[in-house]
Amino acid sequence: MNAIFVLILLLLISLLFVGGKQGALTFLGLFLNCILIFLLITLVNWGFTAMVVLPIMSVLILSVAIYLSAGRQKVLAITWKTSVLVLLLIMVLACLAQHLGHLQGYTLENSDELEGLSLAVGIDFSNLAIIVMVISALGAIAEAAMAVTADLFEVVERTPEISLDNLKKQGTTIGSQILGTAMNTLFFGMLGANIPLLVWFFRLHYSAAEFMNGKLLIFEVVTMLLGMIGIMCSIKVAIFFVEHAFHKEGRGILNESDL
Amino acid sequence: MKQHWRKILFIFVITLACFFIGRLDSVCYNQPVGQVTSVKTIASDDSTDEHENQDRSYTQKLTVKLLNRSGQVVTINNDYYASQAESDQYHVFDQILLKKSSSGYQIDMPKRDSLLFALLGFLFSGLYFSMSRRKFSFLGLSIVVNAGLFILTIIWDASARALPVLPVFAVLAMLLSGLALYFVLGHGLQAWITWLATVIATLLALLAMAIVIALTGATGVHFETMSYVTQVPQPVFYAQAVIGVLGAVMDESGDIVAGLFGLQRESADRIFSDYWQAGLSVGREILGTLTNVLFMIFIAETIPMVVLMLRNGNNWSYILDQTMNLGILQTVVSALGIVWAVPVTAFLTATLLTRKETAK
Repeated sequence: MNAIFVLILLLLISLLFVGGKQGALTFLGLFLNCILIFLLITLVNWGFTAMVVLPIMSVLILSVAIYLSAGRQKVLAITWKTSVLVLLLIMVLACLAQHLGHLQGYTLENSDELEGLSLAVGIDFSNLAIIVMVISALGAIAEAAMAVTADLFEVVERTPEISLDNLKKQGTTIGSQILGTAMNTLFFGMLGANIPLLVWFFRLHYSAAEFMNGKLLIFEVVTMLLGMIGIMCSIKVAIFFVEHAFHKEGRGILNESDL
Repeated sequence: MKQHWRKILFIFVITLACFFIGRLDSVCYNQPVGQVTSVKTIASDDSTDEHENQDRSYTQKLTVKLLNRSGQVVTINNDYYASQAESDQYHVFDQILLKKSSSGYQIDMPKRDSLLFALLGFLFSGLYFSMSRRKFSFLGLSIVVNAGLFILTIIWDASARALPVLPVFAVLAMLLSGLALYFVLGHGLQAWITWLATVIATLLALLAMAIVIALTGATGVHFETMSYVTQVPQPVFYAQAVIGVLGAVMDESGDIVAGLFGLQRESADRIFSDYWQAGLSVGREILGTLTNVLFMIFIAETIPMVVLMLRNGNNWSYILDQTMNLGILQTVVSALGIVWAVPVTAFLTATLLTRKETAK
C-alpha cells in the first residue's frame, strides 16, 4: 500500500467525521485546486504567456478556496473582492521583487538535482519565480480576508446597537489578533521548510554576505514576506469593505439567507 | 481619509529609505561590489537542446563601477540564456557582488539585500499602523526571539556531529509555539489551553504519519528526493513537518479557544456540550481555508522544477515522485493536524472551562 494514499484516505475520513458536509467540501476544494495548479503548469509548459495565465488561474483558485467555504453569501462576496484586489497588489510586488532581486532559477547548490537535465528549455524562469511567489501568497490572502470579514459580521450580529465607530474599533482589535496568528503560521512554515538549507549554509560556513544575498534563502524569505504583506493588506481592505457596507446598509448587511 | 493617505505615504517613504540603505551599504562588504553602468549585447545564438527546446543564448558586455574599491571601473562579460534558469541577464543600475580571480573580476551573485530591506521596511511600517503599539512590539519580539532560537538550534545541528535531530526540533517546536502564544495571548489559561491543544494535535498527526509509514514500509514515499540534505533525510523531514504543522495548528487552536473564551465571557454558566458544539463549528469554518494556505505554499515551491522536468521529456508520474512527493505528504500531514486539532481543542477547552465552573 502506498503510504501517501493511506494518509489521504485517513484525511478524507477525518474530514467527513469532523466537518461533515463542510469537510467534504474542503476535500473537494483541495482536489479542484490541485487540478487548477496542474492546469497552470501545463499551460505554462505549452508556452502560454505566464503573465496572462497566472492572473486567471489565481482568481479561479481563490474562487474555489472561498466559495467552497461555509458562510454568509455577503461574507464570501467581500472576501472574494478583497482577495482579488490584494492579489493584484501582490502580483505587482512579485514582479518588482523579481526584477530587483533576480530570484529565478537555480544555483550551484542545486547541481545534484539538476544532473542530466537540460537548462536551456526556452521557458522564462523569471516568470516561474513570479508564479511561485503569487501562488504561495494566495491561500494566506484568502484566509485572512475570510477570518476578518466573518468575525466582523459576527460582531454586528451579536451587538444589536453597534455604531460605526464601535465597529471600527472592533475591526482594529480583531484585525491585529488575526494578523498575529496568521503571521506565525507563515513564519513557522518558512522556518520548517528551510531546515536543510540553513544547516547546509552553516555547515559550509557561508559568509554573512551569502546569507543576505544568496538566491535560495532570499527567495524563500521574500516569498514569506510577500505572503505576510498579503495578509496585512487583506485584513486592512476587508475591514474597509465591511465598514463601507455597514455604513451604507447598517444592520441590513445581515439580511440574507445563508448559503 | 486624509489620514489614510498620510499613512500610505509614510509606508512608501520608509520602504524607499530601506531600499536605498541596501543600495548604499556596499562599504560593509569585504568582497568587491559593483554597479552596472552600461550593458552591451555583443553576441547571441539560437540553441536547441536534445528535447527540441528552443532557447537563445546571449553574451553581454557589462561595464561595472566598483563601489567599495575607490570607483575603479571594470568590464565583465556575462553569458546568459533567455530562459535564465541558471544565468542572469543584467541591466543598468543592477548591483552585483564580485569575485576577484587571476584573470580579473567575475560575477559572484546579484546583490539582493536592498530588496530584502525594502520588503521588511514595507511589512513592519505597515504592521506598525495596523495594530496597537503593544501588540506590534509583542509580535515583533516574538518573531525576533523565535528566529533567534531557531537559528541557534540550526547552528548547533550544523556543528554537532550526530545530533538527535527529531527530539531536538520537537522540543524546539514546543518552545517556539509556547513563546509565540505567550507573546500574542499573554500569560493565562487561554495561552495554556491553546498550547496544550496545539502540541497534542501536532503529536497525533505526526504519530499517524509515523505509524502509516512504518506499516506500509514507506512505500511510495521518497525521502531521498529531499533537497539540500547533509544528514539522514528521514528525521530531517519529520523535524520539518513538526515545525510546519505546529504553526498551522496553533493558528486554528488559537481561533477556537479564543471563540470559546468569548462565549464564556458572555455568560459563564454553560454546560460541556455548548462549548463542544461551538468549538466544532468555529473549527469547521476555518479548516478549509487553513488547509489551502499550507497546500499553496508546499505546491507553489515545486512549480519551476516540475516545468523543467516536463520540458526535459519526463512523464508526470515520474515528476510527481521526484518533486511533489514530499510536498504532498507534508500537506496531507498538516491537514490531518488541522482537522484533528478541532475536536482536540474543543474537547480540551470545554472540559477545562466547565471543570473550573464546578470547582467554584
